Amino acid sequence: MTKAVQAKVSSAVDLPASDALEAPRFSCALAGAYSTAVGLYGAVPILHSGAGCGIGQLFGQFYGGGQNAGGPVGGTSTPCSSLIEEHVIFGGEKKLRNLIESSVELVNGQFYAVISGCIPSLIGDDTESVVKEFRDKVPIISIKAAGFSGNSYQGYELFFESLIDQFLTPQTKVKGQVNIFGIVPYQHLFWKGDLDVIRELLESIGLKPNIIFTRFDSVEALKSIPAAEYNIVLSPWVGHETAEKLKEKFKTPFIAFPGVPIGPKQSSEFLRVVGKKLRVPAKTVEKVIEEREKRAYRFTEYLGDILTLVRPHAYFSVVADSSTAISITKFLANELGYLPEIVQIADDPHEDKRDLIRRELLETLETPVKPEIVFEVDSYRIRQNLKNRNSLFLFASSLESPISLAEFGAIPLTVAFPSFDRLILEHSYAGYKGGLFLAEDFMSKFAGPL
Amino acid sequence: MTENKSPHIIDSKINLEEATCPNREQRANGINVWYGKASDLVKEAREGTLTRRERKFQQTSGCVLNFYLTVRVGTIRDAAVVYHAPVGCSSSALGYRELYRGVPVELGRPAEYDLHWITTNLRENDVVYGATEKLKSAIFEAQRRYNPKAIFVMTSCTSGIIGEDIEGVVAEVQPKVKARIVPVHCEGSRSRLVQTGYDAFWHGVLKYLVKKPQKKQKDLVNVASMLSYTWQDRLEIKRLLEKVGLRVNFIPEFATVEQLEQLSEAAVTAPLCPTYTDYLSRGLEQEYGVPYFLYPSPMGIANTDAWLREIGKHTGKSKEIEKLIEDEHKVWIPKLKAIQEEFAKVKADGKKVEVLGALGQGRLLAQLPYFDELGLKSSAAMCQDFDNLILGDLENLIKNVGDFDILVNTFQAAEQSHITRKLDPDIALTCPFQGGAFKRDKGMTRIHALRGDPDPWSRQSGYTGAIAFGNFLLQSLKSSAFQRTMLEKTENTYKDWWYRQPDPLHYLIKEDGEP
Repeated sequence: MTKAVQAKVSSAVDLPASDALEAPRFSCALAGAYSTAVGLYGAVPILHSGAGCGIGQLFGQFYGGGQNAGGPVGGTSTPCSSLIEEHVIFGGEKKLRNLIESSVELVNGQFYAVISGCIPSLIGDDTESVVKEFRDKVPIISIKAAGFSGNSYQGYELFFESLIDQFLTPQTKVKGQVNIFGIVPYQHLFWKGDLDVIRELLESIGLKPNIIFTRFDSVEALKSIPAAEYNIVLSPWVGHETAEKLKEKFKTPFIAFPGVPIGPKQSSEFLRVVGKKLRVPAKTVEKVIEEREKRAYRFTEYLGDILTLVRPHAYFSVVADSSTAISITKFLANELGYLPEIVQIADDPHEDKRDLIRRELLETLETPVKPEIVFEVDSYRIRQNLKNRNSLFLFASSLESPISLAEFGAIPLTVAFPSFDRLILEHSYAGYKGGLFLAEDFMSKFAGPL
Repeated sequence: MTENKSPHIIDSKINLEEATCPNREQRANGINVWYGKASDLVKEAREGTLTRRERKFQQTSGCVLNFYLTVRVGTIRDAAVVYHAPVGCSSSALGYRELYRGVPVELGRPAEYDLHWITTNLRENDVVYGATEKLKSAIFEAQRRYNPKAIFVMTSCTSGIIGEDIEGVVAEVQPKVKARIVPVHCEGSRSRLVQTGYDAFWHGVLKYLVKKPQKKQKDLVNVASMLSYTWQDRLEIKRLLEKVGLRVNFIPEFATVEQLEQLSEAAVTAPLCPTYTDYLSRGLEQEYGVPYFLYPSPMGIANTDAWLREIGKHTGKSKEIEKLIEDEHKVWIPKLKAIQEEFAKVKADGKKVEVLGALGQGRLLAQLPYFDELGLKSSAAMCQDFDNLILGDLENLIKNVGDFDILVNTFQAAEQSHITRKLDPDIALTCPFQGGAFKRDKGMTRIHALRGDPDPWSRQSGYTGAIAFGNFLLQSLKSSAFQRTMLEKTENTYKDWWYRQPDPLHYLIKEDGEP
């Protein structure tokens, strides 16, 4: 590795956002690929990396993702080649070969995902050919996910890109099957609960959703990805590369939503759009919508008094990934009549998707009050942007929760990564009930005798 | 009982002219894999025949940067940290704003404080073209934003492999920023022993932060406290030392930079964990004549007595310490006896309750005598790594508590599950990083609490800690519902053959290099 001349010099006092970041709300590509593998039950991640990469992500990505442990094959249970200086000099391929062989022998699993980090990439290990030696023995893929190649979201895409290239084969399309993309395990705090709610919603109109994660037959779930009639992406940018690639390779069209639907309005719209694309009779869809809405709004009546007497039409601020930010803002504005003050998008979405995100936040709100929209990943600037506002609530992360009342005068609720202050197992704000759960969570913070 | 004078420490002189410390491998012949009788380990170490060997199967376990440093350096109060690394290397620092917020101000946590860290977020371009400009601008930005007293620059595998000239950057930038820049060479790939990270950090502190003493403070005791000691442990240590008119300088976690600067003025450096404190203690003595001791730690009644007596010697407070010990014993010895009696009643056959645990080398030395004191039996222990720094103390330990099996292993969950199942102790003390080892029929609990845990229940240090943790262990025997249910209802990570074969180090690669 030769050290070339410095390519660019940036000003010391007024840095562009990419140069020095305080506490960005995501981890690296390795972390994203690793989380994705850990979210697939029965898959065994194998890290070809330094020894600290896994434990670092246990703390940073898994505990940060709603205080979740790594489970049977995550965290310190994850096989890792633990590369050090001698491998930097002599290469780590032999070590990786030994590790894959022993992992297959020792660890219960149906599928192996070799995720290689910064070191193999810098020293030029030929990870692919080592993995190839095992291909006729076990289902195995190799993901090149050097930490410096991107963030957690890009790690998710890298996982699926490798899966598509190395593992998936054309399947006969199954009528009504849809795959769900755009929800990154752990990085999206409510991944387990949200996927379950989405599955149930889609089943309610007779579709066959493949939510991929948390399924105990995950190898089958992966294999059947090409059989889908449609792919559904629940993010304005995450999962889009995967969906594009599947479209290109297996001719599967995709429908993208700006986020996971929260509350009745978004859920009904979700069902209508999906139903129409998948040719579900409108009557079926409308019947489900009618039943669900009736119940959701009857239940919403129970919060009427606390909302109206204690905190009606309040201003609120949001700091979150684009998908969470859009869905929560829309729910609070369009269903509870809350007033969005500032929405900070902290997941560094691709430049070409930013207009769409802006439009979602400006044009779909049923309130004349429009939020200021800021794309910012730097936690220092995010904090500055929250000062001197009159928001009563802050929907953000555990980076803000401990300082929110004192510094911003806003009651905090952690809804986005990282969440060290909330344990999130099954909880979800998705679907018809989800909005009510969200109301429970933030209204309980100011509940008292009326 | 005092200073470790093992001749096997290969490089005992600390050279602050160097950019960093030697690795624990070079400094003290450190290893991270071994299984057998502790007495054999000592013998091999004395003979110099211990070798660093590879495993065919290994699990992620922490590196020089990402075991301790990322979680802790950022808690130094008026400092800032710059990670010269890809974004993932510092993700475990994301809890920085909360880490100590749970400690009530009434318990001594300052109401106003702020912690800061920045990543240079190394990307493909930086790897190709170099990123020292990025590092410089990050340092300037840290100065501008936070006006800190110190800026710690933490390196990574990537910054190391692409050959970033960290020292050059520091030399160039230091005259332009007010904060003291402290480079910490903690590339994950530099050493297989996570403890090298401690030394690398202390090297930076000694070289760049510690000031020449302006005055000696005869009543000041340096105590290096690490992540597995809680806020309540601090309060207990403070309570004891204040009773004899001494003040505690708790460093580095949640300390101020000034507290690090004045390390040279203290009367003595006392350990909580000897191998954590080692490099700092030696450095302070070598450079500024601050005496130190490395053994024992204040865990258990007898250890706390001895720890206090050592401090008494160095502070001229021996008489007061004896009085303190006497007073404390009146309160705590009856409570200890009550716990001993409870443990003695646990087994119908009158046999001792067996416990399997241990974490770092330091806890090995401290906890085994304490368990002995409680009337527990530790027929085996797990130890994160082993080096010659504790050789003499390990010999003493064997003399005092008898021989035992030792598994040297840095968070190798499969090996730990194996030995836990094989030995089947009454209580398995687990650090959450032990994989499935917690799923079992018998007792299980944590080996230590973490962070700013402010609950007295979580204490382990000093006299109140000896009693609190004794009761905590008793409590752990009262129900095995969780671990038993999980054993029954969830899948095992490893295939059955793993437990049927006898050797936790089944995957150790033989001397000839063949698996």
